[in-house]
Amino acid sequence: MTGTVAVTAHGLTKSYGHRRAIERVTFEVERGQICGLLGPNGAGKTTTMRVLVGLSRPDDGTAQLLGEPSRLAAGILTRVGVAIDGPAFVPHLSGRRNLELAWRAAGHTWPPPALEESLQLAGLGEALGAKKVKSYSMGMRQRLMLAQALMSGPEVLILDEPANGLDPGEVRTLREHLRRLAERGAAILISSHVLAEIELLATHVVVMNAGAVVTAGRLEDLLGTGTYEFEVDDVAQAGKALRAVAGVRSVTAHGQRLSVTAPGCSVKELNHVLVSAGVGVGAVRATRSLEEAFLGLVGQDDAVR
Amino acid sequence: MLYVELTTQLRRLRSLILLAALAVIPVLAGATEASKAGGRGGPATYSALNFAEGGLDVMVPLLFGLVVSVFGAILGGADREWGTLRYRYVQPVSRGRLMTGKWWALVTCSALAVATFVAVALLTGIMFFGWHPYHVTGSSDLSAAAATWAILGAAGYVTVCLLSMGSIALALGLLLPRSVEALGITVAFLIGSAALDNVSAVHDIIVILPVHYWLRWTQLFGGDASQLIPGLVAQAAGIAIALAAGYLLLARRDPAA
Repeated sequence: MTGTVAVTAHGLTKSYGHRRAIERVTFEVERGQICGLLGPNGAGKTTTMRVLVGLSRPDDGTAQLLGEPSRLAAGILTRVGVAIDGPAFVPHLSGRRNLELAWRAAGHTWPPPALEESLQLAGLGEALGAKKVKSYSMGMRQRLMLAQALMSGPEVLILDEPANGLDPGEVRTLREHLRRLAERGAAILISSHVLAEIELLATHVVVMNAGAVVTAGRLEDLLGTGTYEFEVDDVAQAGKALRAVAGVRSVTAHGQRLSVTAPGCSVKELNHVLVSAGVGVGAVRATRSLEEAFLGLVGQDDAVR
Repeated sequence: MLYVELTTQLRRLRSLILLAALAVIPVLAGATEASKAGGRGGPATYSALNFAEGGLDVMVPLLFGLVVSVFGAILGGADREWGTLRYRYVQPVSRGRLMTGKWWALVTCSALAVATFVAVALLTGIMFFGWHPYHVTGSSDLSAAAATWAILGAAGYVTVCLLSMGSIALALGLLLPRSVEALGITVAFLIGSAALDNVSAVHDIIVILPVHYWLRWTQLFGGDASQLIPGLVAQAAGIAIALAAGYLLLARRDPAA
């Protein structure tokens, strides 16, 4: 099932008044992939997702879902599960009634094909039918929202911060559920601030900053290629020396450790630069966490003095 | 979408309270009239049909107008207040279907409100005053069958009239941030229109207001029924304008809200 493009963002640009929310955002998600959409607050993640599901019309560029243009209330959305901008339900109705209305609103006959599976994930028990949504906790609403997104057995999932309000056990259950869906051929685009969660879940990532895509590709490529960690005795001197090297994109410090993003530079070359600058190198590691990679890419880490 | 909107609205406590109030009013009125010393207190007590007709006269325009304004304002503003609009669009439900669903829910709620009142009024009237021909003071009585048809026709006409005000409330519900604001403006418009309707100096203005024609249903009881036609035309125009405005407002509203 992999290899077929299910989500396409091509040159998406969107402004709100004079503020440009996203600019020339381009990436693809194929079937079988779980793609993490990462970025700091205001990076344009939610705007990108809104454009992809037709809730916002781009000023320029095209968005496609399963090969069809995405626009407001497009028919193709019947094959897409969406959770965006947090949960929203009719407060005086039960969770089950809300799911029923959501399903029937599109003209379908109740129940949806993947209802039981999605309800197992939601794990709301008797509260699903007996309690009104207004009495649900934040976590319960979040799980109900996920059940709503998943109950149709979608081929594409677009989830905005789905782990918000979930406890660690629920996050793990969600992760396993999404993996199973991806294995069956679903394409999943998921935004999250919890980088450790994305690192455990995603096969691919798109990193955004200030409305633009900084990098997009396989997670292992982002973590493993051109990223190094040096343990040095003089952080300031090492940072200065490394920044002077052509090809070094970022240098971030964590105590005596330096994370360096330098695609195209070899570790031997960088080590030579440090030694030549009189910096003692205690250890070298050619890998990094997603958090380090992310912070290096969006420039939010400790500045190297 | 009709099922969705009706389930959403008719399972609200406030909707049920409104409908219950419409059922209680004729019961209380009937009991009060029947308990008056000396038997029949007025024309409304001659028969169940007189009682139901008298009840409609009391309810139109303000009380029914208030009830239907509540339904319209809530139908228009609920999605925004709950944040469910974006999920309707991604389910996916088009703007046209959304608007059509809200409109038919308003029609159903309005008809239900009038039908509840008329049915309870007839039953209460039968219980307290009996089933007799419709008594017309100073003229010959209408047969019970003719008066029944007149009551049904009046209920239908009143429902259409109420829809024009409900449609205005619906459009305002789509425009304003909160349903209660839409309701307030609609009720102010309703009261203002009803007050102006008695001022002959502004006749040229009041003939374009929907409320001006609302009481013409009384012509069904032995009068000139053709006078209802301008009323129906005026209501249809009001409904069409309000719905068009509502659709445009929905189209301009941020779908992600």
